[in-house]
Amino acid sequence: MPSSTSNFKRILRLPRLFFRQPTEAESVHGGPPLEFERPIPPIPWRGITVVVVVVVIAAASAWEFYCRSIGYGPTLNDNEDLWTMTRQRIKPESIVIIGDSRGWFDLDLDELQKGLGKRPVQLAMGGGCGYPVLADLADDKTFHGTIICSFVPRLFFAPPGTPPMERGEKAVRRSHTQTPAQRASQYFAMPLEEHVAFLKQEELTLDDLLKRLPIPNRSDARVPPRTPPYFGTLDRERRARMTEECARPGSELQKRIQQIWLPLFTPPPPPSYIPTDVFMAKIKDAIEKRARDTIAAVEKLRARGGKVVFVRLPVTGGLKALEDKTTPRNQTWDPLLKGTGAPGIYFEDFPELATFNCPEWSHLSAGDSVEFSKRLVPHLRAALGM
Amino acid sequence: MLFNSLTFVVFFVVVVTAYWSIHSWTARKNLLVTASYIFYGAWNPPFAALLFSTTAMDFWLGRQIAKAKDQSRRVWLVGSVCMNLSMLGFFKYGNFLLENFQWLLARIGIIYHPPHLDILLPVGISFYTFHSLSYTLDIYRGVLQPTRSLRDFILAVSFFPQLVAGPIVRAGDFLPQLVRPPGLRIGQFMWGLLLMTLGLFEKIVLADTMLAGSADRIFGYAGPLVALDSWLGVMAFAGQIFFDFAGYSACAIGAALCLGFHLKDNFRFPYAAIGFSDFWRRWHISLSTFLRDYLYIPLGGNRVGWTRAAINLVIVMFLGGLWHGAAWTFVVWGLLHGSYLVIEHASRALVGERAWTGNFAVKLLLGFVTYGAVCLAWVFFRASDFTIATRMLRGMFGGHPHGDAILATREMLQIGIVTFFMMLAHWSLRETNVETAVTRLPRWLVTTAWALMACAIILTQGTSNAFIYFQF
Repeated sequence: MPSSTSNFKRILRLPRLFFRQPTEAESVHGGPPLEFERPIPPIPWRGITVVVVVVVIAAASAWEFYCRSIGYGPTLNDNEDLWTMTRQRIKPESIVIIGDSRGWFDLDLDELQKGLGKRPVQLAMGGGCGYPVLADLADDKTFHGTIICSFVPRLFFAPPGTPPMERGEKAVRRSHTQTPAQRASQYFAMPLEEHVAFLKQEELTLDDLLKRLPIPNRSDARVPPRTPPYFGTLDRERRARMTEECARPGSELQKRIQQIWLPLFTPPPPPSYIPTDVFMAKIKDAIEKRARDTIAAVEKLRARGGKVVFVRLPVTGGLKALEDKTTPRNQTWDPLLKGTGAPGIYFEDFPELATFNCPEWSHLSAGDSVEFSKRLVPHLRAALGM
Repeated sequence: MLFNSLTFVVFFVVVVTAYWSIHSWTARKNLLVTASYIFYGAWNPPFAALLFSTTAMDFWLGRQIAKAKDQSRRVWLVGSVCMNLSMLGFFKYGNFLLENFQWLLARIGIIYHPPHLDILLPVGISFYTFHSLSYTLDIYRGVLQPTRSLRDFILAVSFFPQLVAGPIVRAGDFLPQLVRPPGLRIGQFMWGLLLMTLGLFEKIVLADTMLAGSADRIFGYAGPLVALDSWLGVMAFAGQIFFDFAGYSACAIGAALCLGFHLKDNFRFPYAAIGFSDFWRRWHISLSTFLRDYLYIPLGGNRVGWTRAAINLVIVMFLGGLWHGAAWTFVVWGLLHGSYLVIEHASRALVGERAWTGNFAVKLLLGFVTYGAVCLAWVFFRASDFTIATRMLRGMFGGHPHGDAILATREMLQIGIVTFFMMLAHWSLRETNVETAVTRLPRWLVTTAWALMACAIILTQGTSNAFIYFQF
């Protein structure tokens, strides 16, 4: 036996089980003589397995306690399978919320149910573009309900191939191609995610922990900006709620997220391999095409008796200034409503909706989302002719 | 069902528990057949019917070949080969053939617009077709007697650990294991679990987390890249595809061991290969031996003169490339490997066995040349079209000095560190195998490595990314 093992044994005095010689039963295959038989390493498997199991349970528990101690709590991960599960709840006359994370955080399902008479289905998604979902519902001939579409210009007009579009498209694709195995995995995952805090796919995975390492990049490297850390919880209806830590005035998390929004919502520099004017012309074409496609989708829905209402939800602070500058209302919101002929509710047009403060500039706190939704209901009813 | 999914964890626990609780060997085999079809049907239930029909046909054809005499044996074999390859051809190459037919007609001035066939590729069809085909081929070659049990043959083809992404297990290797029940042996069971942990670690942590993101960004970038980023992107993919596929194979071998079955190695530290013949003795061994035994040797192998042998090699690698996917980029990948093999054979003929070729420094140099050439070929394997492949190659050879740098320093470090340790492991273990290495390691180190891999898998969580080889 190597000396290092002997020292280790002597120092830790681990049980004999761990260091004893393996029995014949542990090292020899017990079946019939075969032409090919894999060798089994002759080591004391029982002892090693016991130690591994104990270490893994201890490490996972320690990681769980640590994650909870720094403010993480159990919540569902938003992924294509949870989205698909929610998508499957849509009935022909459902009210469906689509769009970006503001529609996710700011609209309270209970208040909307009270005010509109039906419980909406929440299909908005963080960092997602609402168009693929709008187009999918327009193509779904059985659907003739109501769509409440949250509108953030940079996300809604995101060109094909960009992350917001891909996020929406992937979710829609999964809803059409989900396999029984994927559905089953989602059902098995939900109880775990509801009880274990460290199961956070966009926050506490090894990949995300590595991304947080403060390693400077090359000065000329075109590296995508970071996405914000965990600041909301999600339930089986995909209702998002801002965490108390994020909503707490002046919290460190809040400030960190604010500073992440700015680069994320700043238009990236044009690529080096296309002349700037050609690139800008391509972007303009892509935006115009999106507008045309949106008009077509809304008309298709309307022809079946469906309704669409666009909502511009609160945004504050430096992010509002940035959005007003880079995606002004007269170039985005106004043409969208004019082109589609759909009603729209812009939070700034109504004093009772314009007074809310977004703690991290982009979303309402859990408490404010309830009050905001209550105040939004009369406007929705009016816009939908209810 | 993916090995790296919660559904599989639950499925495997249920199957293993039930399997070892049942006393009757017949009932156990029935359980495995049922489990394997559930495993496969969990992707797309109707394709389970396709799997069954292929299997049943080959079972019947195998008996016909065994009963037939002389010339009619060959007729039945041709029937089996045609049936299997036409199934593969329709599902995998239908649109590819139509597109190329359209292109050819256009060359002679005929404009033809074929309908695009909306064909869904049955997962793992390339693998199970070969599992099944090996049965009739071996009966024809006289190295295997047909089994009397359709159930046993169904299990040999559809055994869930190896069903969708290999290793390609020949019926002749698997059917003898169905004669008598294996006993439950703790060592074998635990070694199976350790191999599954190793496989999942390779897939989830090394392939998906450390390398896949960088490879995807580099190959998905629409502009020119500087040489450093281009090379790192290709190295990331070289590591990713190894860990992805070797990880799947390790899981498959481990899962089979937990059920008392023995599958052969599919990888043997391929990036420590010295030369391309050596590479193909270490990479996807079950495919390379399949092509060797059922294609290269029947074509005459290397017994037919140097020129014919070289042509045979190129034919085999051409088909090997096409087996991976219905695209000309895969064909180029295969042809590149075919050319490498021909050049290597020619060099050996010219240089012969000299004393200096046994020098470690020379071996190391040749090993790195092999790795570099394999990486060049990976460009065609990964690129979705020739425009991307050409752009990548130009970037790698300094054709874009003012190209973009898109990798974060963290990603570059990840690629560098993982590649360094992968090469170190491959070169350290190239003359041995995992079992011997584990036997020699101190037990505390085996325990620590196992625990660390399990913790890393839990920490990484995984997003159930499909294994690359599923698409083949």
